[in-house]
Amino acid sequence: MIKTIKPILTTAITACAISVTSMSFAQSPTVKAIQDQGTMLCSGHNGSYFGFVEVNDKNEWKGLDIDICHAVTTAILGDPSKAKIIPLSWAQRFPALQSGDVDIIIKATGWTMGRDTELGLQFSMPYFFGGTQMMAKAELGITEAKELEGGTVCVEAGTTNERLIADKMADLGIDHKIVSYEKNAEVMAAYQSGRCDAFGGWGPSLAVLRSNQMGNPDENIILNDTLSNEPIAAAMRQGDEAFVDTVNWTLAALLLAEEHGVTQENVEEMAKNPTNPTVARLLGTSPGIGERLGLRETWAKDVIKAVGNFSEIYDRNLGKNSPYKLERGLNNLWSHGGVLYAPILD
Amino acid sequence: MSTLSQSSQKALSLKAPSRSKIFMHILRTRAFHSKVDGFISLCFFAILLTAIYSIFNWALLDAVWLEESVAQCQAAAGACWSVIDARYKLILFGLYPYDLHWRPTLACIAIVTTIILSCLPTFWSTKRLSILWVVGFFTFFFLMRGGILGLTHVPTGQWGGLALTLFLFSSVVLLGMPMGLGLALARRSKLPVISYGVSIFIDLIRSLPLLTTLFVAAVVMPILLPDWMVGDKIWRVIIAFALFFACYQAEVFRGGFQAIHKGQFEAGDALGLSYYQILANIIMPQVFRHSLPGTINMVVVTFKETAIVIIIGFFDVLASANAAFGSALWAPYYMEVYVFVGLIYWSFIFSLSQYGVYLKKRMRIASH
Repeated sequence: MIKTIKPILTTAITACAISVTSMSFAQSPTVKAIQDQGTMLCSGHNGSYFGFVEVNDKNEWKGLDIDICHAVTTAILGDPSKAKIIPLSWAQRFPALQSGDVDIIIKATGWTMGRDTELGLQFSMPYFFGGTQMMAKAELGITEAKELEGGTVCVEAGTTNERLIADKMADLGIDHKIVSYEKNAEVMAAYQSGRCDAFGGWGPSLAVLRSNQMGNPDENIILNDTLSNEPIAAAMRQGDEAFVDTVNWTLAALLLAEEHGVTQENVEEMAKNPTNPTVARLLGTSPGIGERLGLRETWAKDVIKAVGNFSEIYDRNLGKNSPYKLERGLNNLWSHGGVLYAPILD
Repeated sequence: MSTLSQSSQKALSLKAPSRSKIFMHILRTRAFHSKVDGFISLCFFAILLTAIYSIFNWALLDAVWLEESVAQCQAAAGACWSVIDARYKLILFGLYPYDLHWRPTLACIAIVTTIILSCLPTFWSTKRLSILWVVGFFTFFFLMRGGILGLTHVPTGQWGGLALTLFLFSSVVLLGMPMGLGLALARRSKLPVISYGVSIFIDLIRSLPLLTTLFVAAVVMPILLPDWMVGDKIWRVIIAFALFFACYQAEVFRGGFQAIHKGQFEAGDALGLSYYQILANIIMPQVFRHSLPGTINMVVVTFKETAIVIIIGFFDVLASANAAFGSALWAPYYMEVYVFVGLIYWSFIFSLSQYGVYLKKRMRIASH
């Protein structure tokens, strides 16, 4: 029964999709619901995830992921304070999206095929790249995984890191031992007490730990091998392409603003005297950017005014203006040696 | 004869040895009975003293106390209580709007007062207890929620910290206790349909882990139920938690019922009392007494188990504690935060269990 219904459904959906795309722009049901309610529901965390989701001394959310949520909220509603952050655990995030508890997941979530297909999700373009890496004591004098011959690597149990490190070591054919612990805090304690030579984990998290929880950052070194590189993207419910467009173009606007030197500070000035045609289109000086998404002509200008461009967001939460001081690395624009780039704003 | 009476008089005039004498005696006979014993005891006392001394040093003498002096924390050997000074509001009230914190403060005082008052024997009648709890609970609820008397509405999603833990705990016990009693009575029903049905239900719920039950209530239910039935997440979780509590509590009550001899029911019948009169005047007071230790145990366990809601994204006291040390400045001082939260839990649970001891003593007197 189900098998016979499926192709019919697929045809019906495709038919709808075709008829929708033939319109000038398609109003997204999610965007419409957000506008009707006047709030956008984003994912938070049940606690804190350094640099991405934190709570400040005034009990307000902050972090890279929170700023991306504020950017999307500003694009749709014109005001970052209309974002409502719902605390979610890791396990709960996908069911919460499906049940409508949140409109979007922006929570250091990697884009995988399983999530994209079986879980019925749709991903935005990646806004961050981070992979499994290893950290070792600087006194060992090593820089690469293959120098860990006979060493012990500590990891958090049941994570993809554990499997990736085992695969990598087997691949390199070096003698090693992997010790797994239930919690990240235990891994850290084991590493610091000298129980293991290396500490395997998600690169950005390791960098954050190294920067502020392990004494002098120079005592530890992150090894050069990147065992995987996970594209971090925003996840949405399947079947609302127009909403994905809105989110993608919000991310694009942040990157374009960085590329063309539009900042939170000079955005008004740039809107009045755009330096080139792309900036003029981006900031709504030459109309088009709003109408095509069914939003205000000034949405991108409002976003940059509210949260700044991508480098400002990065520097504030993870980079040089944050306590973590992470290098941009891969997360720089393509023109500066990174892998981030925006689609063309024509 | 005369010597005997003299010695018996002397015996009568003997006083009980003083506490310090008893202590010295125990020390001599138990701790320093032989040379080996003495050596082991000395070692043990030395370890104990060092531990107490270093904890005292860490927690008090070498500690840094104020938020402003956080810069000294790196150098200090002791605890860095600055993190508590800076973040205690987050731990106590979670994500509740910062400038409205007087409301959860008052609400917590209201609910704690209600709990303390209901422990006093003066309030032990159905009428008084129900009035007290209705007043106390609704004061708490409306202070937190607002939306009346010009108070800004704060949706339950923004509640957090100790206030949320207390809310979950008191509503679960408040709903679960009568439900548990109802289930225990239904299980004793003479109609097989009811008694079997209820016992299957109780065993079913008891065989599911609490975490699964709550996860289904919080996350899966909204997908399955029609929109109008979904309601607020916090209430779905409280109802599921209360059901879970009720099924365990029903078994505690069942133990209480089983301790009562059948003859008491028959005697009640013989006196021409109705079923409810027998229950209210003869059976229930005894059931409560018998099931008291188990009930206190359930209440204590429930208070601690509320921490499980962190998994389904509630910002209870433990989740807010995680958030409290989850920023670059405060990250190294997680130990201090955990000690603080541990003390909160300890103060509640220790008072509860001490109250249980007092109750047991009191009831022992009443039963003779």
